[in-house]
Amino acid sequence: MIQLKNLERSYKTAAGQFFVLRRINLDIRQGEFITVMGPSGAGKSSLLNVLALLDDGWQGEYWFRDQAVHDMRRKQRGELAKRNVGMVFQSYHLLDDLTVRENIDLPLSYKDIPHKQRQGMVADTLDRFQIVAKKDLFPSQLSGGQQQLVGVARAVIHKPALLLADEPTGNLHSSQAKEIMELFRDLNQQGTTIVQVTHSDSNAAYGSRTIQLRDGWMVSDTANPELQPYEAIKQ
Amino acid sequence: MNTILTNLRYAFRVLRKSPGFTLVAAVTLALGIASTTAIFSMVDQVLLHSLPYPHSDRIVYVSQTDRPTGEGDATSPANYLDWLAQNRVFSQMAASRGWQGNLGGERPERIRITMASASFFPLFGVRTLLGRSLLPEDESPGHDHVAVISYALWKRRFNADRALLNQDITLNNEKYTIIGVMPPNFAPDNHGELWVPSPWSVPAHPLVPSQDPRQFRSRNYLDVWARLKPGVTLQQARSEMDAIARRLEKQYPDDNRDVAIGVTGMQDSLVSDVRPVLYVLLGAVVFVLLIGCANVANLLLARGKGRSREVSIRAALGASRAGLIWQLLTESVLLALLGGLLGILLAAWGVPVLLTLAPAEIRELGAVGVNTEILVLGLLLSLATGILFGLAPAFHLANENLQESLKEGERGSTGHGGRTRSILVVAEVGLSLILLIGAGLTIKSFVRVLRVDPGFDPTHLLVFSVGLPSSATPAQQDNFYRQVTESFQELPGVQLAGAVSRLPLSGGNSSRSFKVPGNDRGYSADIRVSTPEYFRTMGIPIIRGRFLTAHDIEGSTPVVVVNEALAEGAFPGQDPIGKFLLDFGPGSEKLQIVGVIGNVRHVGLEIAPHYEAYLPFGQAHWPSVFMAVRTRTTDPLALVPAVQNAVWSVDKSVPLSDVRTMHDVVARSLRQRKFTMTLLGIFAGLAVALAAVGLYGVMSYSVVQRTHEIGIRMALGAQQHDVLKMVVQRGMSLAGVGVILGVAASFGLTRLISHLLFGVSPSDPVTFLAVAVLLMSVALFANYIPARRATQVDPMVALRCE
Repeated sequence: MIQLKNLERSYKTAAGQFFVLRRINLDIRQGEFITVMGPSGAGKSSLLNVLALLDDGWQGEYWFRDQAVHDMRRKQRGELAKRNVGMVFQSYHLLDDLTVRENIDLPLSYKDIPHKQRQGMVADTLDRFQIVAKKDLFPSQLSGGQQQLVGVARAVIHKPALLLADEPTGNLHSSQAKEIMELFRDLNQQGTTIVQVTHSDSNAAYGSRTIQLRDGWMVSDTANPELQPYEAIKQ
Repeated sequence: MNTILTNLRYAFRVLRKSPGFTLVAAVTLALGIASTTAIFSMVDQVLLHSLPYPHSDRIVYVSQTDRPTGEGDATSPANYLDWLAQNRVFSQMAASRGWQGNLGGERPERIRITMASASFFPLFGVRTLLGRSLLPEDESPGHDHVAVISYALWKRRFNADRALLNQDITLNNEKYTIIGVMPPNFAPDNHGELWVPSPWSVPAHPLVPSQDPRQFRSRNYLDVWARLKPGVTLQQARSEMDAIARRLEKQYPDDNRDVAIGVTGMQDSLVSDVRPVLYVLLGAVVFVLLIGCANVANLLLARGKGRSREVSIRAALGASRAGLIWQLLTESVLLALLGGLLGILLAAWGVPVLLTLAPAEIRELGAVGVNTEILVLGLLLSLATGILFGLAPAFHLANENLQESLKEGERGSTGHGGRTRSILVVAEVGLSLILLIGAGLTIKSFVRVLRVDPGFDPTHLLVFSVGLPSSATPAQQDNFYRQVTESFQELPGVQLAGAVSRLPLSGGNSSRSFKVPGNDRGYSADIRVSTPEYFRTMGIPIIRGRFLTAHDIEGSTPVVVVNEALAEGAFPGQDPIGKFLLDFGPGSEKLQIVGVIGNVRHVGLEIAPHYEAYLPFGQAHWPSVFMAVRTRTTDPLALVPAVQNAVWSVDKSVPLSDVRTMHDVVARSLRQRKFTMTLLGIFAGLAVALAAVGLYGVMSYSVVQRTHEIGIRMALGAQQHDVLKMVVQRGMSLAGVGVILGVAASFGLTRLISHLLFGVSPSDPVTFLAVAVLLMSVALFANYIPARRATQVDPMVALRCE
């Protein structure tokens, strides 16, 4: 589904070029549930931003379902992301002034979907996530777990092929975290490809494949045991 | 005291720390305060300042008025004498009349003369600077050739020579002795440069100066002034004069039918024309000031976001709510005073500039400028505005939730003063729309007035006032104007020349009553005396019959040329040629109509033509005239020396005055309208600019506040155009609400300026629509820049708080 070839991301700083991703080669297959792990500053969120097509400043090759993303313009990338990618954030990032229903509707509002159809899709999603009773509440009236539930519902309402989650349970206590992770597993089983970033081993256990990053390098991948270890790279 | 000083010191430090904010806020306030101060200095001097006469509030102008229409007229000598004898409400009464005369000497000069009764000077209670004023003994034949001169004439013509008293001057070829010089600013009738007595205690009629005027009841030419007795109110005076008017109407039904008596406070009578204009402009600048205040309040609210933490810490350390508000208000007031000082400086510079545009009533009514009173007013205004715009932000900050402000992270709350700021912007847009509509309506009126056909062709016309002494006989006058006209026509560059008693759009008018055969109804027509060439010179077309000719002289059939309005009004459906005007004027003349000419807008371009009757100089007498010279040059003023020499070649003692082009005459007649239009335009422009800045500020601030939200939206699929649309929609909805409220308010408020409009309704839909579209376009532009910036939000940066 996705191939990254020699992908690099760096920033110019006063001290010179600072790399946050180095020579990333990654093949993500349809239906995988990948966990990205690593210490802070390893490049996990940067990798997620690249995958989400929020970041344009990388070099290398990015293929999405055989389409060369690296040759696309910003607008084309935006369209691609809009159709195929859903995102879940650690801080939920619900809009304070919108109700649960309106927050869930938000991604649809940026697509050419008739209003009536959108209403139907929102109703289905509310039903599916069992939050119908909360549809008219504002985010501030929900618990953290409920907010993240809405965040996930919003991410998947347009049935994205790829769901990206950045520390989705970071702000939740364990029982809420478990609930969300089980929801991810269900979504994955229904065919959604998921890439999550986490520090938690128990969350990683929900995934089918784990990759480790350090200082921007991909240092391990359970699907690729032959990958050079970090020590070798450093040398 | 210590707290005030501490607050002031801290306020200084805060303002110095953010010079950009301080500068923008101070300049915004300065513009509002400068506009208000400048216009108020005019209002103060023209409307509020007492006239320079003792107890001037008791001086009134008394005049004959037409009872059905309420229109004022001059007063006849016989009526004046009856009023004088019968009233018990005035302690003094005086009569005067103005005209122009030739002051002889090496440099003959045409000056404005007032013939006044001896009671004139005591009534105004002003002592002479030198010598004495007129006394009752000056009002007897043989002793009446004395003159009192104005301060301006004394300085200009006589170099302020203190030995001038008892010296002789030549006035209209007669010797007069100067007996006194008046102090500066003595101009009760807004006319005289020189005052002379009348040998009959009542000023003589200008056309029959040698006749005793005391029996004239149908010749209205006097200005009458009176001083109310102590304790008598204006209303009491009006009641008594009304009773006298009804008595005289019964006694003299022929001359006094429907003649009422108007009693107006002197200040009112002098400023009645400009008062509504100044009030409208004052209203306009108050709007500008309010918009300025709203802008600064918005800036303070925006800045408040950055200061909420500081305020919370102060509160946590024990500052009371009142103490916090007091400290924040100190900053606003200091800022306002800074703006006020800048504004006063701006006004001091701007008032003289505005005065160059102002109509004569404003320029001549006193020393308009920034004086101590205005300075104090400006500072008080600054203080008030400081409190006005500072109060909302101060309360806002002082009422913040302490804990939340201290805990608040980078995300911040999205509603910080948001509603207040939106309301302020809506108000700004609404107020500027009202001003813009006012300006739009006056501009449209001005354009309509400019399109009015004046009835003559003002291009290439040179005009000036010229006059023979009033002692000249009709034959001498006729001869003089004929010779002068002939000498002009010999000049290269001159096409035609003519003379007329009253030039269109130059002020002044004279009317005569008349009847028509087979109709008892009385009519009134404005009288003009002209040379035959006058019509062709001015480009006034003949509609029927003929113009006046050189053969219309004393001894031949008395003839008259009338305008279309008279022909259609007095002879409806008939051919007036050959018909007669009967009982014309006090001489009850019978005049045969020989021609009908096109209508001329004499009183004003926006005023419908009156009935007009043109008599030939050969058969009618008029002491002073205007001459019109149609030139072949685009710069008629270049011919002035040649024209002056041509006049002097006929009579060396006759000066020219008021030398202008006819275009200039037309422009001067529009001066008040242009003044109002220009100032309203400037204030509306200022208001729109301030409102646009306000809108821009609010939307920019909103974009900064919503960066995080925009980042989320972009991460969820929003494209640049979605973000652009979202921000613009929000700004335009604010502007839209402002426009709707402004339009609603304008429907009511524009009625207040209906008297300033011409040919356009106060609720003119085209103007309302055009202004609304214009303002929405400006709002769109003001919105577009922050909206454009919003599209550049990098979702990764916006979400980095993760």
